[in-house]
Amino acid sequence: MIWLNRRGLLAAAGVVPALVLGAPAFAQDGDVTLTHYFTGEFGLKIFNEQVAKFEAATDYTIKNSPIGHEDFKTDILVRAAGDSLPDVFSYWAGARTQFVVDSGSLHPIDDMWARDGLDDVVAKSVAGSATMYNGKRYLVPFNYHYAGMFYNTQVLADAGVTDMPTSWDGFLALCETLKEKGVTPIALGSKNRWPAQFWFDYLLLGTAGPDYRASLMSGAAAYDDAEVKAAMAMWKELADKGYFAPNANADSWTDASDKVARGDAAMTLMGTWITGYWNGLGLEAGKDYDFFPFPSIADGVPVSVVGPVDGLVISNDGGNRAGAEAFLSYMMSNADVQASWTGAYGALSANVNVDPANYNVVMQRVSTVVAGADNFAFNYDLATPPPVAEVGLAMFSRFMDDPSQVDDILAQVAADAAQAFKE
Amino acid sequence: MERENRFWRAILLALPLAVFAAFVIWPLASSFYYSFTDWNGFDPDYDYVGFDNFAKIYTDKLFLNAAVNTALWIAAAIAVPTACGLALALLIDSRIPGGPVFKSIFYLPICLSAVVVGQIWIWIYQPDWGLLNTVVEAVSGERFNYAWLAKPDSALWSVILAWSWQQTGLSMVIFLAGLTTIPEELLEVCEIEGARALQRIRLVVIPLLAPATVVVIALNIINSLKGFDILYTMTGGGPFNSSDTLAMHMYNESFKKYLMGYGSAISVVLFLIALTIIRLYFRQLRKVDELHG
Repeated sequence: MIWLNRRGLLAAAGVVPALVLGAPAFAQDGDVTLTHYFTGEFGLKIFNEQVAKFEAATDYTIKNSPIGHEDFKTDILVRAAGDSLPDVFSYWAGARTQFVVDSGSLHPIDDMWARDGLDDVVAKSVAGSATMYNGKRYLVPFNYHYAGMFYNTQVLADAGVTDMPTSWDGFLALCETLKEKGVTPIALGSKNRWPAQFWFDYLLLGTAGPDYRASLMSGAAAYDDAEVKAAMAMWKELADKGYFAPNANADSWTDASDKVARGDAAMTLMGTWITGYWNGLGLEAGKDYDFFPFPSIADGVPVSVVGPVDGLVISNDGGNRAGAEAFLSYMMSNADVQASWTGAYGALSANVNVDPANYNVVMQRVSTVVAGADNFAFNYDLATPPPVAEVGLAMFSRFMDDPSQVDDILAQVAADAAQAFKE
Repeated sequence: MERENRFWRAILLALPLAVFAAFVIWPLASSFYYSFTDWNGFDPDYDYVGFDNFAKIYTDKLFLNAAVNTALWIAAAIAVPTACGLALALLIDSRIPGGPVFKSIFYLPICLSAVVVGQIWIWIYQPDWGLLNTVVEAVSGERFNYAWLAKPDSALWSVILAWSWQQTGLSMVIFLAGLTTIPEELLEVCEIEGARALQRIRLVVIPLLAPATVVVIALNIINSLKGFDILYTMTGGGPFNSSDTLAMHMYNESFKKYLMGYGSAISVVLFLIALTIIRLYFRQLRKVDELHG
């Protein structure tokens, strides 16, 4: 009979977890593990349908683990910390992907890109900025978005507004007209902070231009510069005049979207995923809602459009690299998948073979606006390193709580961002 | 026979000990280790930075803010659910009609997950149509749309109130158990001697409830330190860090700013605080046990 003393017991206690933790999570040859944030209002059902198409077309099986959009941002880090990243995960192109690339957690896809001829599939404008990091390709742009001013057509029609503003003065006049008619001009749901960033992006890009903004995002410029103060002063003017619905920090982006859909507010500055959300509520593009581009502010400043690129990346931890590459290639190249996904999700496809007629009338015009822009910029939290983005996102919600503190806020953010860049 | 018993004892103990080692001891040791590094959570390469992360704590304004909020939460945890739980326990113990039903109702929140409780209170606090503002409007007759969870002055206290609501049921049940240990005869003697109800409670019941009170306060403090999930659900530490606690600050630094080394240092400090409180608790429990035999 085996006899264990106390030391033996402790040894056994150490060996068992070591065996459990040390056992590699072998996936079967045909299994590809996938984690993504296309959940709930961000298109889970339609995404699953595209995954099913891949499974039907290949011998691979996707082990799919969706995670809520906000929770995903931290969950993926937890999994990276535990060296347990899935074969494939969705990620936002830009600074966030750069951060993961720099840490060596991603597998480069240059060979797959060349082998599968993705140069002929992916639009050059997106491929250059979204897929290349440190001279190599790491991401396929599964779709991209554009942030614009989405409005309730009936509310604006009732207020007698027929022409949408193209200049800042015109925009201020529109807001004043709506306010005089008793309509809250703008809904903003900054509870999760990021929806406020589009205001900062467009005001800064529209006044200081993309080069200065790039300097700010990289730490070469400071948050208490005159350029930033000027942009924030314009935002403050809107707040001071009472154009925003009260309690922005209490609302999520869907709350703000609901306010516009119900007619409690006229418009909201939001990404094109709002069209997928509204379509899901039964609203009709072009009839119940429409959009106009953020008005131009200063002459001579290049026209910028802002938005995120949702990408798919392959981790270095994964065990099924061939399956992962097959999945990325299929989801990017297959025009039917791209058309179905972007059409229902409310996004634009970077696949040049997708017929724009696939989009609804609003998204068709969005596509035209993006194509005609001088510059496509990643939104704030994808344009600057994540630790700095945390500082800036906190700034936006603090500003929305009390715009009168803007000077103190900027001084504080300048110091905190400088510290974050150092770390 | 004895050797066989020992074998099975060892096997049966080894499994829970193994789980404990894997999911408590190992992460704890890892946190201590990483607190001396500049690891960002992704990068396999990191440097040993000595006590830099702990030195940073002294200059981190957000840490101080989180420490103050944690202290406020602990203070509220000692006072609010303890007092409310005691009051409810005394009320139910006085054999009011429907007492068992009320006991179940008051205990119900503790059976809910913190996320569910948080969501219920988000609805209550909703500025435009939430229960609280609707009641205020009905009473005052004026439009009232204060955003309780979105204002830095009220966010923390709003979460603490929701947490206390859930915690009160647990305090009540422990006090009810404590009340069963008080001899009926003693209270009858007090009544015969002319002691009024409040005097009986103050001079007899509360002193004899000391062991239960120590357990209630200790559990409330420990649960307040664990009160991460309800805070995460309701405010996420916001708006702009105004409701951050040390646990939330540690989470934000580790997983949002990718400063895993610094976040680990915060978790070490939090661990030492919890350890101190638990030691004080056991010391107090021993004293009470000695006093009450």
